[in-house]
Amino acid sequence: MTEEPRLSAQEMIEQLEPSFSLKRRIRAVVALSAGLAGAVFVTALWLGESGLPGRTGLAFGLFIVICLTWAGYGGWLLTRRVPLFATDQVIAAWIGLTASVATTAVVAAIAVQRGRGLALALVVGGLFVATALTLAVRAHGRRAALLRRVRELTDGDAGKPWES
Amino acid sequence: MTDELLVVRAQLGERAAVAELVARWRIPVWTYVRRMLDAERADDVSQEVWLAVVRGLPRLREPDRFAPWLFTIARRSVADRLRSEYASEKEGFAASDAVAEDPVGAMVDRAEMVSVLSGLPVLEREILVLFYLEDLSVEDCAQICQVPAGTVKSRLNRARRMLRTHLEEKGFRP
Repeated sequence: MTEEPRLSAQEMIEQLEPSFSLKRRIRAVVALSAGLAGAVFVTALWLGESGLPGRTGLAFGLFIVICLTWAGYGGWLLTRRVPLFATDQVIAAWIGLTASVATTAVVAAIAVQRGRGLALALVVGGLFVATALTLAVRAHGRRAALLRRVRELTDGDAGKPWES
Repeated sequence: MTDELLVVRAQLGERAAVAELVARWRIPVWTYVRRMLDAERADDVSQEVWLAVVRGLPRLREPDRFAPWLFTIARRSVADRLRSEYASEKEGFAASDAVAEDPVGAMVDRAEMVSVLSGLPVLEREILVLFYLEDLSVEDCAQICQVPAGTVKSRLNRARRMLRTHLEEKGFRP
């Protein structure tokens, strides 16, 4: 049988390039982190204001929806469109952790300035920081395990020079 | 370099390892897809398979089981394509299995087999491709087709019997 695929290996790899696009992966992580951070920030602002007119409340609600939509878009990209390999996951986890700490700090500062809502800000922010920290630890652990496996397999190959 | 090492390196994010996996498995995947579909659709579906492989690679928990995982994805892509095109037909991946006792025919030559494969029903064609053309074990075929190993064996028996009948009709004799 002489029939062959239309695409060469090189052409096939070129077709897969968009999945490896660094820009696309950064966009996904930033959209997810910024969307979640924005939603928390706007919610904290909204909860800190009492007696707002209905239209202002509606505007806050819309902002939150927009932020959550961006977060959803980032999450969809990460789970469906762009693969995050082990090293990418470590970087993404640190971006997430930085965004969580920064958002918590800003929201806590606003709460202190207003003299109320600090406990709520710390609880919600702490939840985000803890989640991001857990993801970072898991990402480091996964990467370390893969690196260890590479060493084991490479040493195994080196011990069997007769095998290709 | 073993497939497992390539897969682990790819999971770490080494694009060269992904490229090597594509280069190594491109033809086997295409051969499987081509035996199930026509040439034009085989190219499209092969691309879909590799896209799904790259996207799913970070989540592969058993890098030493890359081949069965790869063909499971290929099978799903082929099934999706067939399902969308022949939704109304009853023949397909959900057909039932009747046990057939007719161990055969190692007399069948690979090239001859390929030429008559297209005349076989989907399930029988698929199992012959996976077992003979891709050289996968019964256990791997069972994992890919999501059926017990016993079903794979009975399906293989039936497929070989049908293949022999087809070959005899075409004038081949053992």
